[in-house]
Amino acid sequence: MTAHTLGRLIGRLILALAAFSAVFPMFWTALNAFKNRVDIVTPTPLFIFEPTLDNFAYVLGRESVFAGLVNSLLISGAAVLIGAMLGLPAAYAIARYPNRWSRDIQFFVLSLRFLPPVAIAIPLMVIWLDFGLYDTRLSMIVTYSLLTLATIIWLSVPAFARVPKEVEEAARVDGYGPYAIFFLIALPIALRSLIGAVAFAFVLVWNEFLIALMLTTSDAKTLPIVASELTQLGRDVPWGILNASVVLLSIPPLLFIGVLSGMLNSAFKRKTQ
Amino acid sequence: MKQKNSLPAVFLTPAMGILAVLALVPTAYAIYISFQNRELSRPDGSLIGLANYIDLFSDRRFINAIGVSLTWEAVTVGMTLLIAVGLGILLFECVSPRTRNLLALLFLVPVILPRVSAAFVWKFAFHPLYGIATYPYKAITGQPLDLLSNPATALATVALVDVWQWGLFFAVIVLKLLETLPPQPFEAARLDHARTWEIYAFIALPMLKAPLISLAFVKMIESLRAFDLIYVMTRGGPGIATETLDMYAFSQGFIESGRISYASSMAVLMMIATSIAFTFIWKRVQ
Repeated sequence: MTAHTLGRLIGRLILALAAFSAVFPMFWTALNAFKNRVDIVTPTPLFIFEPTLDNFAYVLGRESVFAGLVNSLLISGAAVLIGAMLGLPAAYAIARYPNRWSRDIQFFVLSLRFLPPVAIAIPLMVIWLDFGLYDTRLSMIVTYSLLTLATIIWLSVPAFARVPKEVEEAARVDGYGPYAIFFLIALPIALRSLIGAVAFAFVLVWNEFLIALMLTTSDAKTLPIVASELTQLGRDVPWGILNASVVLLSIPPLLFIGVLSGMLNSAFKRKTQ
Repeated sequence: MKQKNSLPAVFLTPAMGILAVLALVPTAYAIYISFQNRELSRPDGSLIGLANYIDLFSDRRFINAIGVSLTWEAVTVGMTLLIAVGLGILLFECVSPRTRNLLALLFLVPVILPRVSAAFVWKFAFHPLYGIATYPYKAITGQPLDLLSNPATALATVALVDVWQWGLFFAVIVLKLLETLPPQPFEAARLDHARTWEIYAFIALPMLKAPLISLAFVKMIESLRAFDLIYVMTRGGPGIATETLDMYAFSQGFIESGRISYASSMAVLMMIATSIAFTFIWKRVQ
């Protein structure tokens, strides 16, 4: 065996280990979610056991988890909708009508990402308290719109820039106005990448934790907060229930994995030309 | 083509207006609160000037938190890039395109998970009695291994989860970057009998210098968001071994004493430090 093939073999082994580490922890958590407590608290990890649906039944039947799920869906959904409705046109304007402020605008949008979440959350808490809107879905939607708007703009500018200029030029010759070109030409052509950008924004706010922790106490609590409270329970930990709630929390983002990987592919493929 | 067009103004103004209001008002308010002595239990405070800032510099927990945060940044950014480049090259070099795409999809799983999920999954895996990651150690030595309660290993263990999420994700990006490189320099080097590692060290990676620096920049920004992982896995403990700046600001403002103004002054300092550092790096990257 030559050194080259040996090297390839070792390389493949490392990759297999990395892939295993990527999926096994979540697989193991899902497995634990179907176990009775006695099958989890064992000295040796169990792979074969009698599955139970009790954990999921308990989690879904709990009012706090259900309320968290509804809050997360409403808040993330509304914030993403606002972000897309305002962000996509703004991104198009930046990509297609560059002026002397374009670079500054792009830097401003990116710089919002530099702000430590604590620095935003503390004053916002005081502001929402003063308005009497603390711990409401409305205040969470407005706050998350900052995140979705900035993210969608940042990711959509390159998507619009990749739309061939000639197509828009041809539409203009055919008598389309600037708005018609945006809605009927640019938006459909860039759609695939744009869906990726919107999905990314959704995953981002769905997973968001620190701001939700500071801005909600009971009524508007999102699912990550509810799940983290379950993980902080005392000594006699209901491990099965915990695993089930973590699985529940992780399913929506994982549904988007195909879309996000597609966005990654289209973002890098075009660079070769 | 040059005719006057209302589209840029109509499309940009609402988005930029909202962003400016939502970003600048809290920022200005954070600075304003930091000059007060406001607490959670008392809605009103009075202006006390720079007292909070002066107190911070004699606060040993604050100094400790700066150290923890800087260590966290250095370790997570460094390890993430190392693993990303290593695995990215292996993906490019060792497997067929079809396997490559499948692995790339699997490598995206950790980063898509909510941080709270990732933190819990690993916290349970590192459980001294029932954890699957600590099981081999327990089986061999008969001793439980409690990495998260040991001040010497707690931060590294949490950092491992962060690197697990981002290192695998960035490996996919490094792979995509390698795929965009023209093949000619590689072939020329092979004809000159360059070894594989020499091709990457002297040809491929230097060609990717700019995108790799951008990746490091993105990771630096994302590493500032360590809070979720630390909150679920250690809550800053044991003691203050994993207490980063945001964790300390949170516990000062909300858990221990409700000193919002004090916490806010910390947040303002973080904001200034990161803005200066990242603006500087951004201008150099451009």
